[in-house]
Parts: sequence; C-alpha cells; structure tokens
Amino acid sequence: MERRDFLKTMAITGAAASSSTALFSGNAEAAGTLDIGEVKSVKIDVLSETSWFSNDNLKKSMLDYGGASTNQYTIPWDADNAGGYSSLITVTTLDGKDHKILMDSGWSNTWMDYVYEMHGIPRMLRNGEIEFMVLTHWHLDHYWGIESTLKHNPKIKIYAPATHYPEDMALLRDKAHHKATDKEGKQVPICKNDVPHTGELVLCSTEGEKGEGVYKPLPGMAIKLFDVPILLRVRGENVLYFNVKDKGIVTVTGCCHPGILSLFSEARRTFKDYKPYGCYGGLHLTLFETWDPKFDDVIRGVKSFGLQKVACNHCTGWLWAEKAAEAGIPIVKGTDKYKSYKRQSAVAKATNVFLTNGDTVVF
Amino acid sequence: MSEIVANQAERKNINVFFGLINLAVAFVVVSGLWFVFLHPNGVMALYTPMYGFSLLVAFVASIVLISKVTDFYPFAGPSLGTVSWGLVRTIAAVAIMLFLVYGFFWGFIGRFGITYFSPYSIIAAGGVGAEIFNARENASTAIVYLLTAFLWVALTWSAGFGQWPWVGVQRGPAALARIGIVGLLSTIAYVVLFHPHVCYLFFPAQTMAGVEPWWSKWAMTSSAYYNLGLLLSILMWVIVSDVLWEGYPWRIVDRKGQGNLWRGLFTLIGTFVLGILSFMALLAAMNIFWLEPFEGGQYTDAPYFRYLHAGEISTFVALAAFIVKTYFGNLVNGPNIWVRAALRTVAAAIGGTLFYLFYYSSLSTFLLGKVPGIAQPEDTPLVWTLLFLSVVLIQADFFAGWPLVRKEK
Repeated sequence: MERRDFLKTMAITGAAASSSTALFSGNAEAAGTLDIGEVKSVKIDVLSETSWFSNDNLKKSMLDYGGASTNQYTIPWDADNAGGYSSLITVTTLDGKDHKILMDSGWSNTWMDYVYEMHGIPRMLRNGEIEFMVLTHWHLDHYWGIESTLKHNPKIKIYAPATHYPEDMALLRDKAHHKATDKEGKQVPICKNDVPHTGELVLCSTEGEKGEGVYKPLPGMAIKLFDVPILLRVRGENVLYFNVKDKGIVTVTGCCHPGILSLFSEARRTFKDYKPYGCYGGLHLTLFETWDPKFDDVIRGVKSFGLQKVACNHCTGWLWAEKAAEAGIPIVKGTDKYKSYKRQSAVAKATNVFLTNGDTVVF
Repeated sequence: MSEIVANQAERKNINVFFGLINLAVAFVVVSGLWFVFLHPNGVMALYTPMYGFSLLVAFVASIVLISKVTDFYPFAGPSLGTVSWGLVRTIAAVAIMLFLVYGFFWGFIGRFGITYFSPYSIIAAGGVGAEIFNARENASTAIVYLLTAFLWVALTWSAGFGQWPWVGVQRGPAALARIGIVGLLSTIAYVVLFHPHVCYLFFPAQTMAGVEPWWSKWAMTSSAYYNLGLLLSILMWVIVSDVLWEGYPWRIVDRKGQGNLWRGLFTLIGTFVLGILSFMALLAAMNIFWLEPFEGGQYTDAPYFRYLHAGEISTFVALAAFIVKTYFGNLVNGPNIWVRAALRTVAAAIGGTLFYLFYYSSLSTFLLGKVPGIAQPEDTPLVWTLLFLSVVLIQADFFAGWPLVRKEK
C-alpha cells in the first residue's frame, strides 16, 4: 500500500504517474516453483564468528591502503588482528541420518587451528565425517585459513563461488604464499597454503546445476550464488537454503553481502511453497558499529517477513542486532561460551544478541 | 548575466574530428587525475567513497560559483588573455574547494556550529562509530548533500532568474547578491531534503536536531538518496534545457534574454515536472530489469539504490550534454529550435548511455580500480562523472573552449 501512496504522491506533481503504476507493480512477489525437498532439522555450531578482534585495527589497514574497494591481497594486514569465520552445520535428513558440512575456513591459520581443535574438527575432517565444505565467498576472513582445513583432508569436496580471482585459485591449488607491500616497501606475508586442494571443486555460478539456479548437495538443501560486487574487490557470495519440514526455509549466510531481504526475496521467487522460518549468519549491516538510516529500513523489512528465529553474528553488528531485538525481531540470544575462547572480539557485549563463538542454534 | 546568453549560443564552428580528439584528450586527463587522486591503488586513494565524493562536489560547486553565480567576478577583464584567465580561474576553483571543505565546513561550521560537518568534531563528541574513517565519511556525506543542493539552486537560478532582480547593478554587488540568495535557498533545500538523513546517520539518532526522514513512508527508505536522485534528475533537465535547448522553452517569457522572475519560476517548475517524469521513468525501467525493490532490500533490490541510480543515470546524460555542446558545437544547427533541441537531446541520451556502458564495463574496472558489478555500496559513478564534468567545465567556461575554440578576432 505504501508503494501505491508513493505513486499517488508523485501523480500530484507529475503527469503520467498512472501509466507508470503498471510498471511499478512488477512480479517481485511471484511465487517460485523449485522443489528442493525437505530436511528434518538443521543444527549450526558457531566455531568462530570473530573474523578480527579489533574493528579499529582492521579499518586502519583498509584506510591506509586505499579504502574499501582495494584489492584485499594488496593490504599488509596485521596478522595479530586476524581471527576467522567458520561454522559446522549438521543437517538431519528425513531418513534420520546426520550430514556434516563445514561452512568457511576462517582467516588466521593459528586461530583456526585453535578453534578447530576445540571442536574436534580435525578428526571429523580426517575420517570424512564432514562430507563437504561450502565456501561462501573469497573474503580473507572466510577463506585465507583454508590450510587449516586442507591439512586434515586435502581431498574434501568444496563448493565455492565461480567468481574468483587468480590469487584465490593460487592459494587453493598452487601452494601460494601471498605477500603485500607496506608503506616502507617491506614485503609482509598475508596468507599461505602449503596443502593444495586435490578434491572436487564445484565452482558455483548463477545458472546452478541443471540450469535451476541452485546446487542441491543434499535433499532439502540448496546453494545459490548471488553475483554481487563486494568490498575489497571480491565478487559473489554463496548462500545456503534449507527447507525444514513443518517449519519453512532457513537461510544460512557467511556475510550476507547481497542483503538479507534480497535473500528472502530470492527464496520466495525460487522455492515452491516458500515459507520463511529462520536465518543464521553475518548479515553485513552495522559491520563497524556505525548507523545509517538504511539499517532502519532493514529492521522494518525483516519484521515484515515474520521469521521465527533470527540468529546473527559476525558482520551483522551488535548495534543492529540490539535495535532489531528492541523492535521485536526474534533474535536468538547467545551465551557466555565465547569467554572460554582465548581471545574475544572488542565489540562483544553483555546483551548477548549475537550467537557467538561456541554457541549453537537448531532450526 | 552574460552567461545566460552565452550558454544558449548557436552552434560554433567546431570541427567534429578535432572535437573527438579533444574529447579523447579530456578522457586521458580524467583517467590520469583519477589515478592520482581517487584510484584505490593510486597515489592519494581518496575514493573511500564519500571523502573523494565531497571533494569533487566541492570542486564542481567552486567552478559553478565562479562561472554561474558570480559571473566570473573578479576573474574577468581585458588585463589577461584567455589562457591566463583560465589558469587563474582554475587555481581559484581549487583554492575555493580546499577552503570550502577544510576551512568552511571542517574548520568553521563543523567546529563552531553543526558538529557533523567536521570529522574532528564528531570524534570529539564521542559515541558509537566516532572514529576517523566513519566520521570523515559522515561529514563528507553532509557536505555532498549541501553542495548538491547548492548546484541545483545555482544552476536553476542561472538558467531561469539570470540577472533578475539585479539588472543594471554593478558586477561586484550583483555577484555578492546572487551568492546571498543562492546560499540562502541552498541552505533551506538542504535542511528539508537532506538534514534529516544526516541526523539519522548517528546512534542514537539526533532527534532534537532533525525530524525523522519524512519521505520514508512512501519512498520505502529513510535514506535521502531519494531526494538526491530526484534532485539530480531535475538538475539534468536544467542543464539540458540550458545547454542544448538554448534556454527554451523557458526563455519564451523572457524577451531580453537576461532572465526574469517569470522565466525563473517557469524554469523551476518546468524542470521539476520533467525531473519527476524522468525519475519515474527510470525507476520503472529499473523495475523491468531488476523487478520491484522492497523496503530493507540491498544492492539492486534497495529502493535507495534505485533512487540514487536514477540520479547517476541523469548525471551521465548531463555530462554528455556538456560534451555535445563543448566538443561538438551542439552538433545540429537547423532553423527550427524544437528539431535541433530534440536531436541534441537524443545525442546526449546516446552519450549518457555510452558513459553508462563504459562505467560498468571491464575497461572501467581496470582503469578506475573498482569492483565489477552494479550497486556496490562503496561505489557510485557520480564521482567519476563529476571529475569528468569538472574537466569539461574548466575547458568550456574557464578557458572559453580553448584550444578547441579560438577567440574570434
């Protein structure tokens, strides 16, 4: 209705508004037809959502070396500030069988080795219990810790965005040791991988497998690539959708660069009998704990979808999560388990509106 | 003012081939300037994006201040030649830009009046997000908005009201009077159209300083990109009618060609209506490509992006209009104003389309160092367009078209 009000307002001051109305009423809400099946439940263990420990430190590196559009491989990042983003997803299919998926591999190998040990990930990788890995996107904090995963299972099947750069592929396959030049002209090591990936690599494109726009590694699960431009010269993000029986669609993201409402909207356009139920992941909103009126738009938009569970962390920003909770969005609260990790994010707060390190959510 | 006549001048004798060479040289100059000042991996890397954006808007505003508002006072006269005056005016525009951003906004208004115009005052005030990167982006956002309002008012005044009501007044006092009226109206436009957004850039929102964005209900966004896109769409028609249509149809009510109240009002209302129509048409076209946007959507799904993008497209066309006039002598010079205006407009639309295709091409990704794709939140083509526009305006207005156009003896 508000859209119509907008058009009516325009009509007062400009002719031809009525003829444009037909054009504005697009088919954004057209229902999808793709049936991906169902799963019984989805459990997500947050291995680490702390991609870096200090926002100020990270921002300073970006600011000093060209800003948000700079190539991430040209910035001499502070290794001591590096953490990583990674989650373990356990999907229970309708036959009662559990399937484990690793989502992302973090940034610092030191941090990721520590986090993986805490959660028994090395063993699960070695014995094949983790069936495959989904790389959501090629950002440093999701990908540069790839050695921590591959050294336990270099043959693991990986779903990754097809929108990669040569440096990305060199790190995955060619034992690359990337360095960046600092202001003094010194070469600073920024990431490395001595264990090349030898397993199947599924490069996800927007066409998907069979031209359906998605990849379906398990019944009830779909991976969809959103080919969007992202800061630090990265492109494209894989998003995971699960259709949980009797509940609805659960959207799982790494950073949600395409925008959470866009993910919901795409699901509505794509999946048969779309019913939103929940979401998990970084929502890429008040990333650096700063506000903008467009974040108010997102709160209003998310509310309109009527989700039952919103579990967020990482680049969502505590500020947005707190305001969203105040506005009545069903934010899944975290616990104090993150304090058992040897390091914590500088922005973690007692409000626990983040599902943070060591926490679990079940959909 | 004299420019109101100059801008409507009939086709000059410009060789199309030399025009093309001049345009190519201008493009190379723009690319060089981009690498030095804005390229993320260039020398100064100011495209953050809002910081570089604010400097570019301030530069274009300085050019417009000298050429349109003060009518080159005191940078004109027989004491210097075309090239010398061009250099003096260019240096003056750079100096005004630096003064506006660092002196007037950061050092004066932001320090003694309105906190958000100075990054240092924002940091000193403390609170969420009060660090240099974010503070500078927020202060730059406010400067971009205010100076966009200035450009709209200044160019509309120049195209419509012209010398009114100071016809016959000496150049100095008339220039000061125009600075006063344009400054006043720009401030009012800024306060209504943009200030509420800036007040909501902070947490908690500065509710005692600004109202909640009043357009959010129907625009489906609290972002003032709604007003920015609309204003840029209107501005495109101000420029197109002034540059390509020789001041028509507004000059029908102005027999002397100096500008008057009725022509001013006609221009104001006419360009407003045309701007709304083109704004809506562009939004409708985007709906066909990207389907309908929705509240809270991001990237191409974001209502605020659609509004901004309409403004970005309009600015591509405005740039093309200046190029059609400056480098190609307005191309068509038939006896019928409506025919030649229409053909020139088509040429500008084609030029704008070519700029659009270039900006989102792989070549631009390489040259400008930007992330490929549309709607990246850290990227707006307005910055590149303004840089190009400033180069064209300097040649056209400050150097009187030299070396492409030689002074007639």
